[in-house]
Amino acid sequence: MIYKDNKNTAIVECKELTKVYKNLLFGRSRAVCALKTISLSVNKGQIVGLIGPNGAGKSTLLNLIAGLIFPTEGCLTVCGSPARSVEARRSLGYMPEHPSFLGRYSARAVLRYHGALLGLPRKAISLQMDKSIQQLQMEEFIDRPCSEFSQGMRQRLALAIALMNDPQLLLLDEPSNGLDPVGIVQLRDLLKRLRDSGTAIVVSSHRLGELEKLTSDYIFLYRGEVVSFGDKIISGQAGRLRVELVSNGSYIAEKLLSPSQVLGVSDTELGIAVDNVDDVPDIVSDLVKGGARIKSVNLQTEDIEDIFLRLYNERN
Amino acid sequence: MRAYELIKETFSRKMYIWVVHISWLILYCFFWVLFLEEETDFGKFLFLWGGFLLPLALSTGIFGDDIASGRICVLMTRPFWPGELYIYRLLGLSLQGVLHFILAGCVIYIVHLFIGRGTLEGLGIWLFSSCLLFIVCAALSTTLSVVVSRAFNSLLLFIAVASAFFIVSILTWQHDGDTGTKVFTVLLKYAGPPFELLSKLAEGEYGKFSLIIGQHKLIKGLACITHSLVLTVIYSIVGIILLSRKQFTYELN
Repeated sequence: MIYKDNKNTAIVECKELTKVYKNLLFGRSRAVCALKTISLSVNKGQIVGLIGPNGAGKSTLLNLIAGLIFPTEGCLTVCGSPARSVEARRSLGYMPEHPSFLGRYSARAVLRYHGALLGLPRKAISLQMDKSIQQLQMEEFIDRPCSEFSQGMRQRLALAIALMNDPQLLLLDEPSNGLDPVGIVQLRDLLKRLRDSGTAIVVSSHRLGELEKLTSDYIFLYRGEVVSFGDKIISGQAGRLRVELVSNGSYIAEKLLSPSQVLGVSDTELGIAVDNVDDVPDIVSDLVKGGARIKSVNLQTEDIEDIFLRLYNERN
Repeated sequence: MRAYELIKETFSRKMYIWVVHISWLILYCFFWVLFLEEETDFGKFLFLWGGFLLPLALSTGIFGDDIASGRICVLMTRPFWPGELYIYRLLGLSLQGVLHFILAGCVIYIVHLFIGRGTLEGLGIWLFSSCLLFIVCAALSTTLSVVVSRAFNSLLLFIAVASAFFIVSILTWQHDGDTGTKVFTVLLKYAGPPFELLSKLAEGEYGKFSLIIGQHKLIKGLACITHSLVLTVIYSIVGIILLSRKQFTYELN
């Protein structure tokens, strides 16, 4: 979960963060507010998924944490130091959505180059390279020039670069882009291992199914605002209740349920919308008290994709 | 390690950098063998070709390419002062310039040995002036690359310099002696790349203690060298400030 008050373990802390992109020529008249007064924190050993439709502000938030852009208002710290400071960047690993490398460099040369930029000694770079090659299955293409790489190879190399300094905070923008199913499973296992070793990970992704297998902590962003945090999403998790009856389905639905609750009805089956899974026993009890002869009850809870669509539809 | 990798990167970031070096050294050879009548012509050619066009060719997209491709986003998350990135890249360019002029000097010497035309007198100072001009132009082009998209920094600088010379020529022809013309000419002479000052230095026009500031006497040649170095530093500081203040995102690119 997202611990808002635990300062001992907070790796990222945002307070009232606002980002407005101003047009140099037209000033405020063409300004775009990408993030509006966002406050959140990400803790050690936590994976946070940033979800939201295109233009919601996910990449802006990642870029702010990475120190690539300045906040218009608010305060942002990474490992206790202001974002963009050298101290903050020392504990940061960043993987962009579309990684790009110097085409003439091999993957090995790129890793050596980034190791040097991190200020690692030659021996540490070699050790880190060996570790990355093994972890990310890069043996096949480590000495090939980057210009020949597929999207999946680029993603692996970009992740290896982000992990070069054993970061305390890992920022990933669409990390599973272009990876094959085996690569996706390996990536998931790697991220879970990193989480277990205490690395805080912030992932922005549209692959909600993948994200769901990785974490239950989400931040749903919509038009620059945090609509819902992961803990609220889960506790308020909704679903669909399928009730099989002996008979009189239509009568029961009309008598005991409000029209907004009824998702589907026939003589022997009812589909009931459930706002909160905790309400299910009460609903079933009411049905029985109202004379329904129930054969079976089946609860289908929302997955993250359903939650995403529900939250999105609520805002539209 | 960091300095070494960043300097090395300026040599190997584009395949055509080596093509430029090699083809231009061959070009000097041909120019010397086919066209040279007096030794000073070669110095002037080297000065303009190597001192002005070479840094433009080598620095094209030096930051613009990184910004356009998004590579800069990863570079800027690395734990070092962004100024280091600028300084080491400029050093890499300068090193290429110095090596290029050393090789150019060798080529000229070898060709001179074979064909025996002209003299090598004054070649050293022409090479030195060309080096200084190279560094100033490289700094200006690198700074432009921070703000100009992709590889258009060199083209923009070339057009700006050519336009400035064209305007100066028109102004001195039409309005010679006007205050406006004088101000524009002086501004270009001292704030722009020091073509005139360095070519005069190479031609040996500056005598001893020819620049007097109050009670201080200065060798004008030395002042000219200092001026070039100060310009390089100013252009670099502007570039570093721009790089440090710039925001980098894929969306903005």
